[in-house]
Amino acid sequence: MAYSVNISVEAPIESQIQEITYDGQEIYQAPLSMSENLAKMAQKIDFARVSPDTFKSEPMETDKPDDDAQSKDSAAFQAPQCLWDSVRSKLRNSLTELCVLQDVLTIAKEKRYMVLDPVPQEVPEQKPMAQIYARKKALSGAASVLLSAAERLRTSQTEMARNRTTPDFHIELLRLRQNWRLKKVSNAIIGDLSYRTAGSKFSQMGMFEVTKAEDDASTSQASSPPPSPGLGPPMPPKPPSALRVTVPSELQGVAYIMVLCRKDQEDLSVSANLLGSSAPSANPDVHWQQKLEAAQNVLFCKELFNQLAKEAVQLQGPIPHMVVGNQIMATVLPGIQLIIGLCHSGGGGESKRGIAPPPPKGDHDHVLEHSLHQLLREVHHKNTHHPFPHPSSGPLGPSKRRALAGPTAADRYQLLEMTKSKTMLEEMIEQTQHFFMRLRAEYVLDTIAKEVKDPLIVSHWNALNSPTQSCVKITIITHGYEVIGKSSLIVHVGQKSMKCVCRDGKVMHLSYEPQELRDLIFCQIHQHQINSVQALGRCMGWQHLANSPHLGIGPVEPLGNASSCILASPMGDRIIAIRCAPQAGPQVFIAHSPRKDFFSGQLVKERKWENLGGPFKEVRWDKMEGKNFLNKMELLMASLTSNS
Amino acid sequence: MDWGQPVNTAMDSLTAALKSNIIPNQEYLLQGSVLDAAVEVLLHRLRGLCDNVDSGPETFHDHEMCFSIRGTSPQPLLLRVRRALDYQDMPWQLRYIGQSELGDKSRPTIVRSSIDVGCNATVVEFLTELGCRMDFEYILRGYMFRKGRMKITVSKIFKMGQGKPPESVEPMSQSYLVELSVLAPNGQDAIGEDMKNFAEQLRPLVQLDKIDYKRLPVTGPP
Repeated sequence: MAYSVNISVEAPIESQIQEITYDGQEIYQAPLSMSENLAKMAQKIDFARVSPDTFKSEPMETDKPDDDAQSKDSAAFQAPQCLWDSVRSKLRNSLTELCVLQDVLTIAKEKRYMVLDPVPQEVPEQKPMAQIYARKKALSGAASVLLSAAERLRTSQTEMARNRTTPDFHIELLRLRQNWRLKKVSNAIIGDLSYRTAGSKFSQMGMFEVTKAEDDASTSQASSPPPSPGLGPPMPPKPPSALRVTVPSELQGVAYIMVLCRKDQEDLSVSANLLGSSAPSANPDVHWQQKLEAAQNVLFCKELFNQLAKEAVQLQGPIPHMVVGNQIMATVLPGIQLIIGLCHSGGGGESKRGIAPPPPKGDHDHVLEHSLHQLLREVHHKNTHHPFPHPSSGPLGPSKRRALAGPTAADRYQLLEMTKSKTMLEEMIEQTQHFFMRLRAEYVLDTIAKEVKDPLIVSHWNALNSPTQSCVKITIITHGYEVIGKSSLIVHVGQKSMKCVCRDGKVMHLSYEPQELRDLIFCQIHQHQINSVQALGRCMGWQHLANSPHLGIGPVEPLGNASSCILASPMGDRIIAIRCAPQAGPQVFIAHSPRKDFFSGQLVKERKWENLGGPFKEVRWDKMEGKNFLNKMELLMASLTSNS
Repeated sequence: MDWGQPVNTAMDSLTAALKSNIIPNQEYLLQGSVLDAAVEVLLHRLRGLCDNVDSGPETFHDHEMCFSIRGTSPQPLLLRVRRALDYQDMPWQLRYIGQSELGDKSRPTIVRSSIDVGCNATVVEFLTELGCRMDFEYILRGYMFRKGRMKITVSKIFKMGQGKPPESVEPMSQSYLVELSVLAPNGQDAIGEDMKNFAEQLRPLVQLDKIDYKRLPVTGPP
């Protein structure tokens, strides 16, 4: 049985032995790494070796190992030598070339034997004909554009020359632009006719659109040679505008604010019907300027009415104001109503309230309507015209009074007063109240002047007055006796009351009832009579014995008191007593003392008692001669003055 | 009488007003300068842009004094007293201006807190008694414009002549100061954009910008 023998197989040592120790152990050199190997092999390249066969062909090179193959070592290196040879030769060749180049450059630098000359650059080939063609094409394209534009301009020019009468759109637009605010929104021209730039805060927009009335113009142009189309209004043959403005439907038509004052309740329903009146319907062919102005007016009236309605709802009066539809009703004075209505008609079938008869002209109050407009304009003005602060670093806005409130230590009441401002409706009501007060005062004075002829009543209204206050001076004189007696008084007519300042400095406040003024004037008339009689008596030498402005005797007067005076003749033998009552008129009594004829009786025995004064007898005044009271008095006094 | 009712003091109402943010205590400001030669052109442009110039631009003639007082903080407290020389009946103005916040690029204007109060002529004495010291004073004369909430002033600064009549004051420089400002309550930053747009419209004539005083070579506010 054969046993297998273990044979150890070792790999041959490829590494070199560096050292053999004494105990026989071999120390190997570490095998070379790839890069070390490469470096080692590269070192073997012998650049110095210049073999003539290097300049020979490559196959010759391959023969070389045969010559060198002597030892095992050399044979081992033969292959790498062969491998590196091409590298070596290439490097060598390049070195040679570089050396040659360096030599050439050195020679060329000296410029003695060799000169470097620039080689003329090859010009890129030009194709002149193609270029000319391209240019020609571009030019012809541009020319055609210009020509077509010129053609279009020429046609439009001729077109314009043909119908010279139609105004140019752009000229019209320029005119429009001078008066109205316009802006371009994408392709459309939009204008604004609202009062916003003037300080309005009304929310409704006032936009209008401007378009070119092209088709319109052409049709009207075509139809203009025949006299006029039947449906058109008889207008002078005006060239139609090249511009067309389109205002929103709610601003079309005609609008106005109407102010009416009604005395009694019954008329209210009538007036309500009157308000929904129809104004002349909007003419579609009006010039844009008028059209825009009308639309602006509509907007203004709407803002005015809106504002008034808002205030009417907010204001708390003793009698609440009513806002019904497009009417505001406010009670001004007992029994007197102020009605402010917005009338808006036309505007593309938007007319309200159906057909109603037009309001009688002159019924409404132009003055109050005007002041309403004025009030809103003032509000607008105030919205934009804030006072500037001084010093300049102060805040914008507060008024001078507000600015002064701090340093002058204004109290809470004053500050609250500052915040108060009258609303437009309140001002309107005040103006209306004043209007009525003035009307009443005028009426009272006129009727008294008509009724009373004896003393003349002259009233002078001050020409300058405010919308809520006016002043009248009343003079009472007797014809022919102006120098002797003249009573005057001044009446300030306010909103709900009157103030009378008499000549003696007495001030009386009257209410809105006209009767009070009437009574006052009558009292003044009779006082005037008494006063002027006294003055007349003084002139005639009569003696003034007694005077009472408020006589406590006699029948009770329905208003005021009778006044009286007693005059004695220069001799003292005649006495005249005058009693002047507002209702009954003047009464004159005379007494003689002593009487010319004396008959002694049982009671009066002696004549001397007659000097005490006799009984008064009333003069039948209506039978007296004379033009007026003073004239009669003068005659009476003259006849009674005895010259004895 | 009910004594239990708490008394509403002025301080209470002031805090309430501050809380509800109705006090305009922020000033939005843009500044610029224009040479004397060019001021006419600028005024012309402003007349075209601003509100209510039909009656001509509003002029002003102010005198400003700047007081400072040192408190506990190292930074002195600055108070300005201004009066209108051309409107003698108008109250004087005492004003505190806070630190200017320049912010970053996204913020269009300078924002600084500003508190002003009207007072009378004794305020100078009062401040002196408090311990304030007058740092400088000057006279401003120029024109004022308004555009909405914006106030535009074009003014020339004059040196205060010591003991000289106010007519013979000497101008500080050869240019006019242009300021565009709005006083607004806190947090109304939208106005800054409006101001920026307006400044843009004045652009070639005057460059209104956020001026940082600290970066200017000459220290001290105008």
